[in-house]
Amino acid sequence: MSSESAPAVPPFAIEKARTRLFGLTLDECIHAFFGGSACMAVVVLTLITVFLFREGADFFGKNHDNLRIYRQAGLEYVDYIRQQERDHTALTRYLSDLRLRTLRYLTAEKGLTVAQANARLAGFDDFAGRYGDAVEPVRGLVSDLTETATAIKTKYTVNEDAKEGRRQLLAEGKKDEAAAITIQDVDFKTELAPITGTLPLYKEASATFSKNLGEIVAGAPVLPAPELQARMVKFQELTRDYLATFPETLHALEQWDYAKPVPFTQAFTAFFFGHEWLTASFWQDWYGVVPLLVGSLLVSVIALCLAVPLGVGAAIYVNQIASPREQKLIKPAIEFISAIPSVVLGFFGIAVLGQTLRAISQVAWLDWIPGFPFAERLNALTAGCLLALIAVPTIFTLAEDAINNVPRAFKEASFALGASRMQTIIRIIVPASLSGIVSAVLLGLGRVVGETMVVLLCAGNRIAIPDFTAGLAVVTQPVHTMTGIIAQEMGEVVRGSIHYRALFVVGIVLFFLALLINFLAQKIVRKYRISIG
Amino acid sequence: MVTPITSSSLAAPMEKSAAPSKFSVHVPASSASAGTADTLIEIQNLDFYYGSKQALFDINLKLDDKRVTAFIGPSGCGKSTLLRCLNRMNDLIDGTQIKRGSLKIRGVDIHGKDVDSIELRKRVGMVFQKSNPFPKSIYENITYGLRIQGVNNKARLDEVVEKSLRGAALWDEVKDRLHESGLGLSGGQQQRLCIARTIAVEPEVILMDEPCSALDPIATAKVEELIHELKKQFTIIIVTHSMQQAARCSDKTAFFYMGKLIEYDDTRTIFMNPGNPQTEAYVSGRFG
Repeated sequence: MSSESAPAVPPFAIEKARTRLFGLTLDECIHAFFGGSACMAVVVLTLITVFLFREGADFFGKNHDNLRIYRQAGLEYVDYIRQQERDHTALTRYLSDLRLRTLRYLTAEKGLTVAQANARLAGFDDFAGRYGDAVEPVRGLVSDLTETATAIKTKYTVNEDAKEGRRQLLAEGKKDEAAAITIQDVDFKTELAPITGTLPLYKEASATFSKNLGEIVAGAPVLPAPELQARMVKFQELTRDYLATFPETLHALEQWDYAKPVPFTQAFTAFFFGHEWLTASFWQDWYGVVPLLVGSLLVSVIALCLAVPLGVGAAIYVNQIASPREQKLIKPAIEFISAIPSVVLGFFGIAVLGQTLRAISQVAWLDWIPGFPFAERLNALTAGCLLALIAVPTIFTLAEDAINNVPRAFKEASFALGASRMQTIIRIIVPASLSGIVSAVLLGLGRVVGETMVVLLCAGNRIAIPDFTAGLAVVTQPVHTMTGIIAQEMGEVVRGSIHYRALFVVGIVLFFLALLINFLAQKIVRKYRISIG
Repeated sequence: MVTPITSSSLAAPMEKSAAPSKFSVHVPASSASAGTADTLIEIQNLDFYYGSKQALFDINLKLDDKRVTAFIGPSGCGKSTLLRCLNRMNDLIDGTQIKRGSLKIRGVDIHGKDVDSIELRKRVGMVFQKSNPFPKSIYENITYGLRIQGVNNKARLDEVVEKSLRGAALWDEVKDRLHESGLGLSGGQQQRLCIARTIAVEPEVILMDEPCSALDPIATAKVEELIHELKKQFTIIIVTHSMQQAARCSDKTAFFYMGKLIEYDDTRTIFMNPGNPQTEAYVSGRFG
């Protein structure tokens, strides 16, 4: 009986489904798809990192060669003397600035006409002329040496190219053609003889120069106003300081030895602490990241100074003060800003903002603002203003989230103790959401540091460390940025060249900067979650 | 007559002034003056709306000075709403409105045009259901109310901190860690910190919105004990779901149901001899 009734019980069907795709059930397929998508992100990130490092790593070797040849071909030697000449030029600029001031004083204060004033300055001009001409012996020497050193470098470069060509031919199996290429290794010692041989000549020239300059400066004309005279005294002091460096230069030249090895660390220090980014130069290429880094940071700081008050202020207003209708208007409007393509913003920056800022800066009664008036339409300020616009939506959205996460109970408690709305915001809401706000700012910073198009179009692209002695006016100087230089130069460089690799290393620096910022932001957010929970 | 509270285990930790087992025990302490108390708050014909939904219907109530009044009633009966009307906390909620009637403290209509709700809240403090110390130190929590009034004198603040913490029976537990975060305290300590924070600004009235609902029995007993001490100085209005608590703590009790005031009388009368069958049903635990 029991054996007959058994089939009536429905089977306990718990086997896996039969429908299979590549041997996987539907669930497993979905699992694989999501898992694959997640893995993809990790794989891509790894590939990008590896690629960046592979392309960039060789830079330091090449830079080391670059620095080595700088020494061996005698360029370094010549640059010692050239530096002396440049310092002198800087001093003559000081002198012409002083002349301009004196002229202005004479015309404005003494009521002389320009012609009369110029006549009055004849003695000064004579002095300045003699001061300027004093450098001639050294200058002549430099220009001769420059040619010789360049020739050595060219010879070396041509030779290296020939070697490379032969290596390629050999690799292709064309032995005859390879043999036809003649290679003459450069013997630096003999090649350098004409350069190092000029040392006595230099000694003589610099001694004359030094003596003449000393005499000229001692007989400086007396200027009509105490303020101007003070500057002249300062100038005399500067000149004396300058003359005091002569023995040092001479010593460096005497000690100079082409065979002295360049330490490999210098390839790194020359990049990370180098003050010059100079490429495709006839003389010597320098790959120093400092001006670009400083440019990037300056622009970012300007952007944050504008974006933080705007973004955080708007977030506080929308979350705490605005009526529901205002919220509905403001939130989408701010979030919409992030939808504007950055190239359009850059275009707007060139066509409208730069022009307007310059016009504003030239309004007479605004000249008390540091840096006003300025002549450069495209500068760090213009780029910073636009970058602020890019950072505002990020900061606003995240800061609003953070403020929204402050428990309502804090707000009620504060009100119940007789606090006004403003007191509650300033003393309770903002401190309680501070870490969230800080991480919002950091993520905004990350957005700004990585932004390319706007800075390329609007920052002015002058590769030089901005003059921070100008104080706040530094913001009105044109700068170049790390992102900008990559976008600008990557299209023109020879693949595999030192310049190409240098750009990759700049990319790595940028990558790590962004990584650091994001890491900090995440860390702060995590801490904040714990403290609220 | 059923007396639902006699077997209360919650009362066990209570001491001297509120001896266990009988809710009526504390009455002698205040009964001497019970009949002669002045009216502090007078509510007349109050209709209150959340948007278009009416939450309070024609409330008329006179609350005594320096007494504890309990609001009881099932959830959603409007007792918390009425409490929050007393310091205008409902202003923070969009769409709330008093359509009719008035709330007067010492004869002043607190919803009048010229009333500064900030000044009102300095006089009418509030303790919330869930303890909500600020994420600041204990010291800063207590001094917050004074600092926003511009008091920055260190000596005065120190004095107030000690006085308030003693007043809230918390001083001995926290005196060595005044500068540690208030969030590090236990639930009961946090609630007493909130009470200390409230009395630091020396209000006249303290509103308590279910102050013990998140606390364990021992912490509850401490807060109740505190209420007995506080009523010497302050007028206290307490909303509670626990009838035992109402019986133990309060001098007068108001029973609300569906937004209406059903009965208001001496606590003893409400629990022993309620005049309304609904009140009797509620206090005896048949509904709610």
